[in-house]
Parts: sequence; structure tokens; C-alpha cells
Amino acid sequence: MKNLFRELIHYLDVTAHVIKMAVMTVIEYPSNIAGWLISNPLQFIMGFAIIKFVVESFGQINGWTYGQLAFLYGLSVISHALSMIFFVQGWFMGYYVIEGEFDRYLTRPLGVLYQFFFTNINIFGVTDLIPGILVFLYGCVKCGVSVNLTFLVQVMITLIGATLIRGGIYILLGSTSFYTRSAVDFGQYTQEIMDKTTMYPLSMYPESIQFILTYLIPVGWISFYPAASMLGTEGVRSGLTVSLVTLGVGIAVILIAGAFFNRGLKQYESAGN
Amino acid sequence: MIDVKNLSKDYVLKRKEPGLRGAIKGLFRPDHRIVPAVRDISFHIDPGEIVGFIGPNGAGKSTTIKMMSGILTPTGGSVLIAGRDITKHRKEVVRNIGVVFGQRSQLNWDLRLGESFELLKHIYQIRQEDYDRTLDEMDRILGIGEIIDKPVRQMSLGQRVKGDLVASMIHSPNVLFLDEPTIGLDVSAKYALRKFIKEINRVRKTTVILTTHDLGDIQELCERIIIINHGQIVEDGNLSQIVDRIAPYKTLVVEYYDEFAPEHDRCEMTEHKGNVARYRFMKKDLTAAEVIADLSKKKTIKDISIEEAGIDDIIKIAYES
Amino acid sequence: MKKYLYVIKTQIIKSMTYEFNVYGNIIMQTIIMITSAYFWRALYKGQGMVGDVDAESMLTYVVLSSVLSVLLITNVERRIEKSVEKGTVATDLMKPINLFGVYFAEDIGAVIALVFQNMLPILIIGSLMIRVPVMADVHDLPLFLISVIESFLINWLIAALFGMIAFTAVNIDALIQVKKHLLRLLSGSIIPVWFFPAGVARVLESLPFVYIYQLPLSIYIGRGTRAEHLRQMGIQSIWLVILAAAFLIAQKKAAGKVMVQGG
Repeated sequence: MKNLFRELIHYLDVTAHVIKMAVMTVIEYPSNIAGWLISNPLQFIMGFAIIKFVVESFGQINGWTYGQLAFLYGLSVISHALSMIFFVQGWFMGYYVIEGEFDRYLTRPLGVLYQFFFTNINIFGVTDLIPGILVFLYGCVKCGVSVNLTFLVQVMITLIGATLIRGGIYILLGSTSFYTRSAVDFGQYTQEIMDKTTMYPLSMYPESIQFILTYLIPVGWISFYPAASMLGTEGVRSGLTVSLVTLGVGIAVILIAGAFFNRGLKQYESAGN
Repeated sequence: MIDVKNLSKDYVLKRKEPGLRGAIKGLFRPDHRIVPAVRDISFHIDPGEIVGFIGPNGAGKSTTIKMMSGILTPTGGSVLIAGRDITKHRKEVVRNIGVVFGQRSQLNWDLRLGESFELLKHIYQIRQEDYDRTLDEMDRILGIGEIIDKPVRQMSLGQRVKGDLVASMIHSPNVLFLDEPTIGLDVSAKYALRKFIKEINRVRKTTVILTTHDLGDIQELCERIIIINHGQIVEDGNLSQIVDRIAPYKTLVVEYYDEFAPEHDRCEMTEHKGNVARYRFMKKDLTAAEVIADLSKKKTIKDISIEEAGIDDIIKIAYES
Repeated sequence: MKKYLYVIKTQIIKSMTYEFNVYGNIIMQTIIMITSAYFWRALYKGQGMVGDVDAESMLTYVVLSSVLSVLLITNVERRIEKSVEKGTVATDLMKPINLFGVYFAEDIGAVIALVFQNMLPILIIGSLMIRVPVMADVHDLPLFLISVIESFLINWLIAALFGMIAFTAVNIDALIQVKKHLLRLLSGSIIPVWFFPAGVARVLESLPFVYIYQLPLSIYIGRGTRAEHLRQMGIQSIWLVILAAAFLIAQKKAAGKVMVQGG
């Protein structure tokens, strides 16, 4: 127990230092920020505009009103932003495998996966966070959500779980590179699929697909079930239960992904062989 | 310090046939093949040794050193460092090793060199006074004081190598692994690197394991060499003893005043070109002085020189066997 | 010409070497296509014609948009960025072979490989799982094919022009993303712009983007009259000429600029 605590302190200390270094790097190249400050919010403003235009043409999407869709969309974008900050490296794992970039992580006394993600922490992800929060707040206002302690706890737990689900999926996809030994950039596709499955109501898909997206690839828990439960759109409101399930699913996914990664790492071949 | 027992590594190779037809075929029926890179090798390294791994490209020396440093998982066998298995206790064992791998840098490209060291200080949980002391010592050996505030991206290759050497030693490991450290370096950088290895070995008694193609590295640094070929150890031992055993001869080069060169009954004339002839003789049978005396009885000698079998000869012989 | 054909062939082989990329791409694109189809089905539930299009035509639109998106890939902007990053631009530009010709040939090669690797599988999967994308009026086929070729060229020219920004600014990663988002939204590849408010739609119809996806797809599903299509293809051609001219000018300027820096 005491060792575990000491190890936790160690990881936190390194994390704090790594964040400091990431900020220093951003300051070193301020011109890069400008591009992302435009690019990332633009993406979500446009996504949100699409919803608005579609709802104006069709009235609603599968029973969800404009305000409810904003709530769902905002929740999804926030967890997306968090996953961009902490887990975006997973998209490029193939490159690290092929180029032998895991060598340096393997020769240091910290978890490989931890180093892979945290020494490459992506401060730019904050540029996704801002539009996410704005749209989410807009949705809250439109739906007349009463912001109390339960609600805040629900949102917090949901976001942690949702970020873990996303991160776990990136790890699972990235780890396939250990076996295929090719550098596939999944980023664009995962992004697009996640957009489609987390930013619109899951209930618009047929039951078979809902089943897959609930139990097999559990992206339904990222935003749809929590939002439905918080807003009561698909029937009952359920207090903290759905948020806790999301957190549990997130932990399960990240553990499975970690095991898959570690298994792949045993087959890691470095570069130049 | 290091015990390697029955270490093996197989690679799974995906074969791709050339041309459009091959590409299409590969799409439907990828071809897998298992290639053994290291086959059942064992050796022991004592604390404070400097050991050089040599062998042709693809012989398995890089694979071996990468298994020893915990990067590759062995297919079979084990690597013990200070009695602990590196595959099973990676996080713990790597605290005791430092790694410099060829042209791959562990420095942060965008920030000043010192920041990379600071990060390592946190990763290895180095106490401030130890950290300061190590940096002082490194400055004395390598003179990094003048580059520590320079952004890494603005540094020359030689300066980056210095940075990487310090990074590998910042946590004062007992074992240092270097894979092709001098590749692509100019003469002065090579000199600094060799001096560094000698110094840390002398002062800190650090065990050093390196792979190299540069015979100068071997000659300058290694008392012991391990020659690897086709994934197996061909030779392992004291450098001069191996030289004596594999090439127990010297060559006497004699220049005469004309093209005729007399034979010597206990020497082999390996070459005869113009006025110059080369006589190879066994060190245990003859001395150079005897050969010179014998030859000068037969013909007037203009000039002589003696060639020892060099390390490159040894390697050539070892590779061919 | 022969040189460029060689580049095309090499790129085809290169593209076909990574079998995992191929299967991965097909799976991903299939998922994207199917989720889009359900998105539209949900929207059209209990509705007849919305925006002059019924549900069936909209599904054809989705399948064909996925198929088209396979063909509309470009790598030219990344290639330019790489060559600037590595500092080989100057030598690349001075080679006796036209650099952009090579990039274009590479992209053509990659697309040809993709026709068999991705486009046909996507078309078959889409036909089986969503709807056989039958053309509304077969007589429009020549128009459709011409407009697809023009849309490929417009798409490529926009990418090349974006890529050339790399000659001036160092890092264009973010800009490439901006371009991608703009293109996705403004070209009608996900949502046809006729669902947008009339004012917005009108502005977009004067920009080149809708002529990349929406025009060929409209011809295919038969939205609008032939006269309208011909008029829009006129605008498409005008944009092609404008972009080609801009490209040639920019190329000359870039070459000059790099030469000066190099000397």
C-alpha cells in the first residue's frame, strides 16, 4: 500500500513536469497555436451547424429536439477534447512501432503506455475543449437543465468514463500495428465514426447496431446513454447509475486495451532488423 | 554483473514478392516465415568490463543488445542484470542501465538540452545533490556546460551525441549499453565519445557493452570482444588472445634492390610484387630477427617492416568461418 | 509522359503493398457509409420529400458519396510539406521533371489502385446493405462522368494550392485540417447544401466546393433538370479554369521564390 502510494506520487511528479515541458514547447512555437485555434473549433462549429440546418429541415432527429441534440453534441465534444489531450498519440502508434520509437520508453523505469501518452501530452487539445463546453452549456440552457451537485457529479464521472472509452479504443486500434507491422493512421476514421455514433442519438440505428455499439464497441456510453439519462429523453432519468456504468465501461475498456497493448509489446521488434 | 543464458530470438518475416503481381498476391495470401536472429547464446560479463560486440550486418548483435537492455522480448532464454531478470522485472532493472542507441536521440528536440535532463531527473527520481554532482562530472569529461542551455534542434550531431551520453548516465547506472554509438560521427566527436567511455569505466567502474563496426572503437576501448555471426557466438574472449589464436603469425615485408626475391623454407611468401615480397611466419616458431638474418644471407635487403595481424584480419577470418 | 506513367505504376504497386491498410480502409469506410445511411433513414422517418429529394434518392446519394470519396484523395499537400521540411524543395524543383507532374501522377496511381482496392468493395457493400445506387436517368451518364473528372481535378488543384502555402509558412498541418473540414461541410459530401438555409446555400453555390461532391451526385440522383445541371457544369468548368490558372501562377512564383532562397 505504501509502495503503491509512493509510485503514484512518482507518476504524478513526472506528469506535472511533462505538462510543464509541453507548455514550454507551445510557448517556443506560438505560430503553431494559431492554426489549431482556428482549425479545431471550426470543425465543431461546423458540425453543430449541420445539426442546426438538419433540424430546421426535418424538425427533429429521432425525437430529439435541437436543444437536446446540442447537449448530446457538447458532451461528446468535451470527452473528445479530453481524449485528444491525453490519448491522441494512440492514433500514431503505428509510426512509433515501425520507427522503433518504443525503445526509449522500454529502457525507462515507468509504464510504457504511460510514457507513450504522457510524454507526448497534447496541450493543443484544449482548443477542442472550448467549443465543446460552449455547445454543452448552450444545450443545458435550451433544455432548462437545473445545475445542481448531482448533475455536476454525473457530468464529471461521465466525462472520465467517456474519455477512458475513447482512449481505450485508440489503444486497441493502435496496438494492431505490433501485429501487422504497418503504420496505419486510424485517426481520421475513428474520429469520423465516433462523430457519427456519439454526436447523434444512438436510438436512430437499428437494434442490432445499437447492441453492437452498447456492448461490443461501447461508444454508446460515451454520450448517448448519459445524455439520455440526464435529460430523460429516452424514458426515465436514472440518477448516477448511468454515469457510474459509463465509468465502469471506461475502466474495463482501458484495462482490456492495456492488456492487448502489453501482449503486442512482447512482439515489438524495434527498428532496423 | 550480466548473465545471459540460452538467449534466442526469432523474427516473423512477412515476405513480399516484387512487382504488381506480387503486390496483388500479397493482398490475398501474405507469406510468413520465421527467421532465427539469435540462437541459443550464453555468456557472462563481470562488473567493470568493457565488452565489444562485433559481427556483420544482420548477424544478431543489435538484437542481442536490445534483448539485454529490455527492449526486445526474447523468444527463449534469459538476461539477468545484477541477478534480476530484465524481461520479468523491467521497470526495476532498467534503473540500473543506461542506453545510447546509434542515431536515435532521447532528447527533446524543441527545448534546451537541460530540460531533457530535468525530465530524466524526475523519471529516475534523482536527488538534487546527486543530479548536480553527476552533471558536474559530465561537464568535466565532455564539457557540456556550454551547450546545456542551447535548444537541441540547433545543436550539431556531435553535440547531440554528447547530450545523449549525459542523458544515458544521468541516473548513474552500473551498466551502459551503446548500439553503434560512433556511426556517422566526425573524428573529434568519436574521440570525445571514446574518452567518455574510458572515463566513466575508470572512475565509476561502469560496465560498458557496445556494438560497433568501427575497429578503432574496439582497439581503443575493449579488452574483451564477442564476435557474433549468424546469430551465434563465434569468438568470446580477450582481444589479444583471440588475435594470437586466430592469427598466430606476423608478416615481414622486405624490399630488395631488384625483382628477385628468395624463398624462406619456414615462411610462406604471401605476396611478391615488384621489388617487395611479404613473408608470413608463425610467432611461436620464429622471430622476425631470425627471418631477417636468414634472408639477408641470401640477398641484400634494402628495407623491412613488420605487420601484426590486425583486428580487421581477425574479423575477416571470424566472419568467413 | 513515359516518366509520369512510370510514377503512376510505382504508386499503384506501393499502394497495394499494405494489405492491412486496404482491409482497414474498407471496414472504416463501410461503417461510415452505413451510419450515414441510418442517419438519413431516421431523419426521413414518416416524411416524403424533403428538399426535393425522397429517402431512396438520399440513400443513393450516401452510397455514391462514399464511393466518390475514395477517388477524391490527394497526397500532394503532404508531399510538398515533406519536401519543404526536409529541405529538398530547391533540388526537387530544379529536377528536369516537373515536380507537380510527379505528385499528380502519384495521386493518379494511388486512385487507380484504390478503384480496385476500395471503390469496388464499397460499391458492392453499399449495394448489398443499403441500396443499389441506380442512376435516375442513364442518359445523364456522360454528364456525370465529365463532372466527376472535373471534380477530381478541382479537388486536386485546391489541395495543390493549399500545399503551396507550405513554401511560405512552415507548418501547414492545421491548415490542411481546416481545408478538410471546410471541404467536408461545404462540398455536400455529408449533407447536401440544399438542406442549408437558402441564403447560405446560394453563397456556397458560387464557391467551388459544391462542384466537387454535390454536383456529380445531383446529376446521378436526378435532382434538378438537365438545363440546371448543364448550367452548374458551366460554373464547375469556370472554377476549374480559375483554379488551374491560379495553380500555374502560384507554381511559377513558388519556383522563383525557392530559387532565390536557394541561391
